[in-house]
Amino acid sequence: MAIETRTHEPTVDYSLPFWKRKTVLHRIDMAAILILLIPVAIATILPLVYMFSQAFTPEDQVRNWPVEYIPREPTLASFQLLVTWPNLPIMRWMLNSFIVSTSVTALVLTINSLTAYAFGRLEFPGRDFLFIFVLTTLMIPGEVTLIPTFVIMRRLEWLDTYNALIWPAGAGVFGIFLLRQFFQSIPRELEDAAIIDGCGKFGTYWRIVLPLSRSALIALGIFTFLGSWNDLFWPLIALNSNEMRTLPVGLSILQHEGYTMQGLGMAAAALTTVPVLILYGIFQRHIIQGVMVTGLTGR
Amino acid sequence: MAATSPEQRRVGKPMPRWRKLLPNYLFLVPYFVFFLLFLAGPNVYGFYISLFNWDILLPNKPFLGFGNYQELWLDKLWWLSLRNTVLFAALTVGGNVLLGLFASVLVKQRPPGHQILRFLFYTPVVLSVAVMGVILARVFNTEFGLLNYYVDMVGLPTQKWLGEQRFVIPILSLSTVWWTFGFPFLVFLAGLLNIPEPIYEAARIDGVNRLQSFTHITLPLLKPVTLFIVVTQFIAHFKVFGQMWIMTLGGPGNSSYSVVMYLYDVGWRFFRMGYASSLAFGLAAIILVVTLINFRFLGGRVEY
Repeated sequence: MAIETRTHEPTVDYSLPFWKRKTVLHRIDMAAILILLIPVAIATILPLVYMFSQAFTPEDQVRNWPVEYIPREPTLASFQLLVTWPNLPIMRWMLNSFIVSTSVTALVLTINSLTAYAFGRLEFPGRDFLFIFVLTTLMIPGEVTLIPTFVIMRRLEWLDTYNALIWPAGAGVFGIFLLRQFFQSIPRELEDAAIIDGCGKFGTYWRIVLPLSRSALIALGIFTFLGSWNDLFWPLIALNSNEMRTLPVGLSILQHEGYTMQGLGMAAAALTTVPVLILYGIFQRHIIQGVMVTGLTGR
Repeated sequence: MAATSPEQRRVGKPMPRWRKLLPNYLFLVPYFVFFLLFLAGPNVYGFYISLFNWDILLPNKPFLGFGNYQELWLDKLWWLSLRNTVLFAALTVGGNVLLGLFASVLVKQRPPGHQILRFLFYTPVVLSVAVMGVILARVFNTEFGLLNYYVDMVGLPTQKWLGEQRFVIPILSLSTVWWTFGFPFLVFLAGLLNIPEPIYEAARIDGVNRLQSFTHITLPLLKPVTLFIVVTQFIAHFKVFGQMWIMTLGGPGNSSYSVVMYLYDVGWRFFRMGYASSLAFGLAAIILVVTLINFRFLGGRVEY
């Protein structure tokens, strides 16, 4: 009988940080991995650093080589010019973006959680048929609805108003799918106890299911807010007056309409990005977990 | 008592079924109002519009039958924009999958600072396409761009990156990979963390080296995740508009003119809503076909 003579490496405990792991081999591995990943990380972050540095560089130096990532004479001149330029009401654009994105988020969270509760926790004839009917619309790209929605908005005289940007979001499907999955994971017993205590169906939804789903609701809220804040195509179509624009539309106009000052565009881009980066910084765990979980449920 | 009215019969009996079920349906009412008005309705209405010569500024809209679709079939600009879009989507999805897989395989080994790396790789994804376009238009600028600065520094000739036909689509793809690879990276990472560690242990004991365990264990087990990424990424990037709209306006010539840019021009510069609708359905058909092809080649269940 052959005896196993080969000694294999001891199992690596990946929960330990690399310097506490036993083998030299693994320290070399980790060094190699970092040598490969650090350039990727630098390439990822460099354009963002470039944006901020250009935004703070005086206009007569932004085209200079060598590129300075830390401006020698940092200045707020580009921002001042942007805020005071009469044809570029950037503060109004920011307000528009805030109003639209906040309203869209509130709408989506309300409608989608009600719908997901019915699809995920209630029983009634036709439930699965309706759910599958809603899911099939995911197969049709949103571009198909752009023209008819535009025609409808024109009839309603909602073009160039917040209405045109806010209400269509109520038909979103992604949140129903996400929340339904989450609601189904809540133990039934909690709901049964609430019903015995005299809670109606709405009471159960409001007092039991929603508070238990905080993390899923936060993730959906952040995704919805970011999506609405960043959207370019629909606002570009649905808005036409200068003061109704959202930030991405304003940015694209700034890029096109002969504003040749480099610092101006970068300052506007920076102003558009800062709220997003703050949100990402605060909610990064929710965002990253959200992507990893929804990505896997898509299997 | 002989005859009882339906109302009397109900007294003392349990609540009828429909009364009990009614609240369940009420939960769905708000969504279905939006669903009909802004999703299902517009899909049907869009097809209806595509059968007409629907100029939004004119009062009469003559019926064409499938005339718009016939025009689309013969439209050279449609085929050109389609060619550009397919090339862009293929390069972008390929780049995203390769870079996402590469980064996730390495980050999964938990190198020092892996959480920071995870955070950084996903950062560009949260930017607006408008911001991404403005920044990268500067990076690839011919006269003072960041790329030409480094190209010049290593002694190579500088290029008109966005001004030359042979570069423009690859550069737009590269920009988009920078912007979006964080998404496939995270999904691959989730998929990798889902593969049970004992499989690798067993393979190692059997003398399987690292490359073999990657090609024979990791890749086959990642197949469903890869399918999901390829399909969703292809659909997303096939609808490309913002990058071109901000960085090139479809140029030079029409060499970066995309399908959705064409849709925008037909609909909102020429106001030909009927033709634009048929274009949107053409786009939908292609997305459907490509999705089915992907399922055929990459589909199939995986057992751990």
